[in-house]
Amino acid sequence: MTAELRAELLKQRTTRTNIGLVAAMAALVLTAVLMHGLLLPADDLADADDQLQIVFGWGEVLGALFAALLGAMTFTGEFRYGTIRPTLIVTPRRDRLVAAKLLAGVLIGSAFGLLAGGLSAVTASAALTARGIDIEIQASDYAVLVLGSAGAAALWAAIGVGLGAAIRNQVPVLVGICAWLLFLESALIGDANLVGDLGRYTPGSLGRAATGQEPLVAPGAALILLALYAAATATGGWLSMTRRDVD
Amino acid sequence: MTAHQTPNALSVRASREAAAVTARSLTKRYGDVVAVDDLSFSLRTGTVTGFLGPNGAGKTTTLRLLLGLAEPTSGEALVFGARFRELERPADRVGAVLESNDFHPARSGRDHLRALAVAADLAPARVEGVLEVVGLGAAARRPARTYSLGMRQRLGLAGALLGEPELLILDEPANGLDPAGMHWLRRFLRGFAAAGGTVLVSSHGLAELAQTVDELVIIDRGRLVATGALDALTAGGQSLEDVYLELTGGAS
Repeated sequence: MTAELRAELLKQRTTRTNIGLVAAMAALVLTAVLMHGLLLPADDLADADDQLQIVFGWGEVLGALFAALLGAMTFTGEFRYGTIRPTLIVTPRRDRLVAAKLLAGVLIGSAFGLLAGGLSAVTASAALTARGIDIEIQASDYAVLVLGSAGAAALWAAIGVGLGAAIRNQVPVLVGICAWLLFLESALIGDANLVGDLGRYTPGSLGRAATGQEPLVAPGAALILLALYAAATATGGWLSMTRRDVD
Repeated sequence: MTAHQTPNALSVRASREAAAVTARSLTKRYGDVVAVDDLSFSLRTGTVTGFLGPNGAGKTTTLRLLLGLAEPTSGEALVFGARFRELERPADRVGAVLESNDFHPARSGRDHLRALAVAADLAPARVEGVLEVVGLGAAARRPARTYSLGMRQRLGLAGALLGEPELLILDEPANGLDPAGMHWLRRFLRGFAAAGGTVLVSSHGLAELAQTVDELVIIDRGRLVATGALDALTAGGQSLEDVYLELTGGAS
């Protein structure tokens, strides 16, 4: 298992994909935080909940998104470029391969979340301070924000690994993750409100709750529930990888 | 291709156990299509066996079944008496190349091999060793997307050799090789078998195969049509091409 995990981490270090993902994630965090922190009326950013949800929370959202994309590509990239064949010839025990990719995804995903959450916290604080707006969130809120971002991104990376293993085709998986996190889920629980109170238990909402943005779901409970989503998708990916042929 | 080390530099270990490859009533169906149909054959250790058949005959499917990439509908595909997925340290026993392009385009040849070596728990020195064997040392830092088809074939072969395996399974390894590369590959495979290794190689290059293989397994529409020693199959003075076309119904 250690050998397989080391191989997965080596694969992640030997292309520029992750550098591109980190750069894109950091640029989007900066853009989103600065746009909301600098351009919205000060009255909209007066209390802690507003500051957290409108400005500081972007780190979690984008960290989770990019961690999920990274996780998905650990499998879809192998299928896209055919490297799954030599990979499975040296590691024919597919359950070990799935476990190694899950662990690698969780480790790198948590780093994505930590970076995105930290960058968001620093940038949001600087933007509000520059406008003379009092920062209402407390030191403990910062800790929850950054650590919750890391936890949520780690679990979203696992969700990505599971989806990638189950679906295999890169484009639908990546488009599906983006569509869900950026559009579909907010449509379900936003204006359309098709799921009522269940909206706070959708995976994207749980990620936000993990950083303290959902008053009715505690961060710890949110991470546990999000872990159930991750376990379900990982199980789906494991079933697909251990039962389906590889072309 | 420049001069390279011969495979004698590799420590090829002869197996004293079960046949290197055994297909027993092997069948693979995809819906109504029977890709491999009740196929049985085995390989003697220390031989190079050519695996022949027309396009769509089921050669690659058979190789995928042997390597655990696909599951048989019925029958058995065994390497050294076990299912491939059940082998302990499979890279030490079997090296295989199914496609010439199975690389991440942005990853260097050396890093591609490093990832395989790490996964197989092999010493890092093996990477440099196999790069030297296939003559890719000078290009090892370049991204695989810059490699010619012949270089990709050699990189694939380098990956297959990492664990110093006893059995090589190669699907069309001569595609894209220039005459010098073909000559090198022929010498390499002969040397590998002479050192006790076993090779199963599929190819459409009959003239080249006739100079390389000891044994033949010929299939058509998923079924075995002939197996045996090259000398025996061509004993009537026919060329391998004549025999092949006659057996597979391709003779005009």
